[in-house]
Amino acid sequence: MSNLSRRSVLRGSFGLAAGGALARPYIANAAAKTATVWWVQGFAQEEDAAFKKVVADYEKASGNTIEYSIIPYAPERQKIVSAVTSGEVPDLFQANPSEIVALYAWQGKLVDVTDVVETQKSLYTETALLSSQCYNGVTKHRSFYGVPYVGAVFTNHIWKPLVEKAGFRIEDVPKTWDAYYDFFKGVQKNLRKQGMRNVYALGFQVTTNGVDPNNTFHYFLIAYGGQDIVTKDGQLHVDDPKVRAAVVKALTYPTTAYKEGFVPPGAINWNDADDNNAFHSKQTIMDLDGTISTEVAIIKDKEDYDSIVTMGLPLSNEGKPIPSQLTAANCLIPEGAKNVAVAKDFLKYFIQPQVNNEYLKGGLGRNTPIMPSIVKNDPWWFADPHRKSYTNQAVLGPTVPTYWSFNPAYAQVQTEHVWSAAWMDVMTHGMSPEAAADKAFKRIEEIFAKYPIVQS
Amino acid sequence: MASASVLEFAPHAASQASLWRHLRGSLKGSEYTWAIAFIVPYVAVFVTFVVYPACYGLWMGSSPALYTSLFADPIYQDTAVNTLLFLGIAVNLKMFCALLMSGFFMRRGWWVKVLLMIYVLPWAVPALPTFISIHWMLNGDWGLINNIFYHVFQEDGPSWLNGRWLALGSAIYSHIWKWMPFWTVILLAGRMAIPQDLYDAAKVDGASGWRQFVHINFPLLANLYLICTLLSTIFTLGDFNSIYFVTGGGPANMTHVLATLGIRDAFELAQPRLGVAAVMSALPLMIPLVIILMRKLRTAEVQL
Repeated sequence: MSNLSRRSVLRGSFGLAAGGALARPYIANAAAKTATVWWVQGFAQEEDAAFKKVVADYEKASGNTIEYSIIPYAPERQKIVSAVTSGEVPDLFQANPSEIVALYAWQGKLVDVTDVVETQKSLYTETALLSSQCYNGVTKHRSFYGVPYVGAVFTNHIWKPLVEKAGFRIEDVPKTWDAYYDFFKGVQKNLRKQGMRNVYALGFQVTTNGVDPNNTFHYFLIAYGGQDIVTKDGQLHVDDPKVRAAVVKALTYPTTAYKEGFVPPGAINWNDADDNNAFHSKQTIMDLDGTISTEVAIIKDKEDYDSIVTMGLPLSNEGKPIPSQLTAANCLIPEGAKNVAVAKDFLKYFIQPQVNNEYLKGGLGRNTPIMPSIVKNDPWWFADPHRKSYTNQAVLGPTVPTYWSFNPAYAQVQTEHVWSAAWMDVMTHGMSPEAAADKAFKRIEEIFAKYPIVQS
Repeated sequence: MASASVLEFAPHAASQASLWRHLRGSLKGSEYTWAIAFIVPYVAVFVTFVVYPACYGLWMGSSPALYTSLFADPIYQDTAVNTLLFLGIAVNLKMFCALLMSGFFMRRGWWVKVLLMIYVLPWAVPALPTFISIHWMLNGDWGLINNIFYHVFQEDGPSWLNGRWLALGSAIYSHIWKWMPFWTVILLAGRMAIPQDLYDAAKVDGASGWRQFVHINFPLLANLYLICTLLSTIFTLGDFNSIYFVTGGGPANMTHVLATLGIRDAFELAQPRLGVAAVMSALPLMIPLVIILMRKLRTAEVQL
């Protein structure tokens, strides 16, 4: 103990510092072939297993190492925000939620991944490519800042036994938009007469939480002809009478259904999974929701699985096909990533059609490919009635990209839930849909003013 | 030049040496080195986990523009009102009920001890599962409470979480349910520290239970009660779980408090600086509370 002096402490400290400094080159060298990846936990265990297999196969083929963390949805989102804010980033993560690709591209916080997308560019759908081409507010030009790898659309999930119990047949469901959803109101009335007290017609996500309410609103908006609220050039068109009329209708139908008691009262406070829970507990007769996770979640309960009917979108009220708004999931490489080369190499491997197909099939087809050739060359995608309907809608049917791909301002519109707030104004504050639309337009214009896009 | 310099700096050098001696205290030689060695880990941890995050937070929330946009946000305005209501109602109701309950648990008898054991269970069980359970129980459509309500009255119960005031009330109730046992135990300990002689003397003088409370319990517990209330206010200001897991801040973001709004702004809106600003806006309330608490803690040393 007496040997310890101020000098010896200082000597020891310098020794440690010198040792650390000498060790650094070795660590850096070791990391050159390793990429750190944050991946969202799958809805089903099979999805995680599918991702792990992709990683194992890649490591075997390349000799590189992928250090991955599989993290639940909400914590991963928080980790991403924290990482990008602090600058201590992984080499690769998914866009969680999807619209952050537009926000971070605008802020110049993402690496341009055009070279990765180029390897399979001819195979992607136009919608998928548009979903990944975002505007960089620093360089003032548009480029690929995300690598799309799966797609998802909203589809209708219906309990066939409930429809039949009410005295109807699935074939009776009308083909046009309003009549289609009105049909289930009749089913509810008949079931109530039979003593089913807590059954509701429609599982609409009229809440201010999560991603589902934004999508629900957009499906109504597009169905009513408001598709061009934001155009490819990034311009906002809330002054277009056609768009305004569509917005008012999209604020009217779901809120009226709610106020008339055809949507569960608790729906105004639902989270993303709550409509699935309500549907599984047969509280709702039908649910308009993204992916076929609703079906996949109960795949082991064959009777219930077979009792659900997965149905694509009805026609518009004018009898025309309605395009589905497709959300393409993107992989992002943040600026500051230490191993960009390995991350890009892994992504080039991951989006190869056969690798991508096996990954999606491992996840039981909950999400769809965004390369039509994949489903055309593999009958698996049509071997199950749910998958078949969903594939026809999402991959082979007409689709449009999300509006944030055109202008990052719309990403903020979504994260702020401007449209959900307008629904709330109508449902709980007694505002007319027209007044709620005007209030929402004002807020959206304020947001768009913060994201000036220079036309090239 | 050299001699002038010595003359000039000599008093300064002397005062430095004096300061050095003062800092070293009575420590000599290697004792001083050991003292430094022992204090370095603490200082390092303190700087890393307290000073740095606090300064980083202050830096993140330092732009006045953040507060301009925050105060203009109607959700923030609702949130500020909710926070004040949450603090005012939850803290005072909880502390007052805890004071009453601590008096009850002073009674003798084995069954009182058993009741006390059951009573502290809400505090002892993990917070998250219980708040999530409460959220489910309060579901207006299929929750336990409304199902019982229907079976008893043949009527649908209220939608607990679908309106601002009922939802906020439910969160306040959950907070009280969770934390009242803890403060009851603290106040019970305070009551047990009051010498029995005082009660015996009061009884000899013919004092009733109420007069004993007014003249013995109240004056002797007043400081402890105040300190507990201040502490509870500070804890409650940072209470995230009661709101987030019971109401989720909904419906329509109408039941947020500053702690949950900060998380929403930081992670759901992906605007971490705005989130920090939301939390920082509680500082004008928090700092006076801490100062009063510190002063009261000094006063409390000579009481009870």
